[in-house]
Amino acid sequence: MPVRTDRPDVPSIVAGIAVLALGAVLLLDETGVIELSFGLLAPVACAAAGAILLASGLARRT
Amino acid sequence: MTRDEERQDGPEEEREGNADEPAREEPVGQEPSPEEPTAEGPTAATPPEPAPEDPRASQDPPPPPPPDQAPTQPLGPEPRRLLRSRSNRVIGGVCGGLGRYFNVDPILFRIGAIALALVGGAGVLLYLAALVLIPNETQGAAAQPPAEGRSRALTIAVVVLVLLVAWPFLLGGGVIAAAVLFPLAFLVAAGVLVWWIVSGEGPSGDAGDIARRAALGIGVLILCGVIALGGAWAAAAGGGIVVGVVVVASGLAILAGAFLKPVRWLILPAVTLALSAGAVAAAGIDLDGGVGDKTYRPASAIDLRDRYELGIGELEIDLRDTDLPAGDRPLRLDVGVGEARVIVPEDVCVVTDADVGLGAVRVFERDTGGIDVGVLDEPDASPDTTRLMVNADVGVGALSVVHDPADFDYGGPGRDFDGGLEEPFPGDGNAACLDTGARANG
Repeated sequence: MPVRTDRPDVPSIVAGIAVLALGAVLLLDETGVIELSFGLLAPVACAAAGAILLASGLARRT
Repeated sequence: MTRDEERQDGPEEEREGNADEPAREEPVGQEPSPEEPTAEGPTAATPPEPAPEDPRASQDPPPPPPPDQAPTQPLGPEPRRLLRSRSNRVIGGVCGGLGRYFNVDPILFRIGAIALALVGGAGVLLYLAALVLIPNETQGAAAQPPAEGRSRALTIAVVVLVLLVAWPFLLGGGVIAAAVLFPLAFLVAAGVLVWWIVSGEGPSGDAGDIARRAALGIGVLILCGVIALGGAWAAAAGGGIVVGVVVVASGLAILAGAFLKPVRWLILPAVTLALSAGAVAAAGIDLDGGVGDKTYRPASAIDLRDRYELGIGELEIDLRDTDLPAGDRPLRLDVGVGEARVIVPEDVCVVTDADVGLGAVRVFERDTGGIDVGVLDEPDASPDTTRLMVNADVGVGALSVVHDPADFDYGGPGRDFDGGLEEPFPGDGNAACLDTGARANG
């Protein structure tokens, strides 16, 4: 069975979603829907960075 | 019995099973089929047994040398490489490799490394850098003996004597070298780490590869620094929506690239831009009001504005000579990065409603600090007393309310707002008020 070579790049998917989430948080703060604070930004940033690193590391292992 | 004797006198089965012969891996119990080509080609399928009467049978070509003798054959001149020694090592083989490379006794490098380690720590850094940058000697590489023809004891004595004489110079040089090498080593390590994250190329290979990856990683760091500053400045200057749209567009590009052509190089700049703008938004930094220090000394209540703004700098409002009538008087302060200072007379009661993204709030003898600091202190005052309603918003920095400008420089601890004080305590500075209802979080 031939191996598919056109599989989507999983780290890019995770990173794209994470960056989209960060951008959405910025826009929500600018439009006044939420009030961004360090207490909200810190976990969001850590979760985004952790997801990207985790996806990259797992993709590298496979 | 020598190997040749075995080869000539032994039976065919023993010759094929000789341990010195290179083994041919075949499944046990199976004969190779003549029809199946092997890795050695079709001729390998035919039995290599010569006819018994063939006189050439006793003149087999000499067997290949055993593997442990292969490196001793002359293979032509090889470029001399600096490698960490495996056979002459105390910690990582750096000094042994240097000694072999320069054809000197490795003890010279060991003494030098210890001396530099004792006079500022540069020896430790140099050794760690060499441990990372100099590749390790391969398992089969031959170890050359140390330089001969010199007395080791005499060499050590001379080197120790030279070190004792040059100790003061080494001390200064070591400190200077450490001051240069510590940031350099940190920068190289950061560059290698960043490039490892960006490209997946780990800290392996020879010194050239490490240097190339460190340079590329440092370049990425510089690029991200520029992006972070630009994004923070744009967000603080009122372009937060633009920055947010750029971040979202970057995320969409990365997501689309996952299915078309990955653009992983865009991930780190996009995350950097998002986090820098997010930090500005979280701190509430606003550059409206300009940059620089500003001081206001209004003479009367009419001159006192309702709102003062400053982007970056120190904003000082001095009300000691201001004629303030009784009753509530609002005072709004917005500072992006810096400090908002308010100097009030003793007979003025101060109400504080402050938000500081990152920094501290100090009102007379009470203070608090940290991230996302919020202070709400609403004491009552008699009708014939002036009550100053300070509403401050500081992004990164501090709000200070004092009676005496000398108190701005006071660095000692104050009483925390979190103490749940319901009544003004003696010496809290806000003596013109009737009580206090301080609330703070930070």
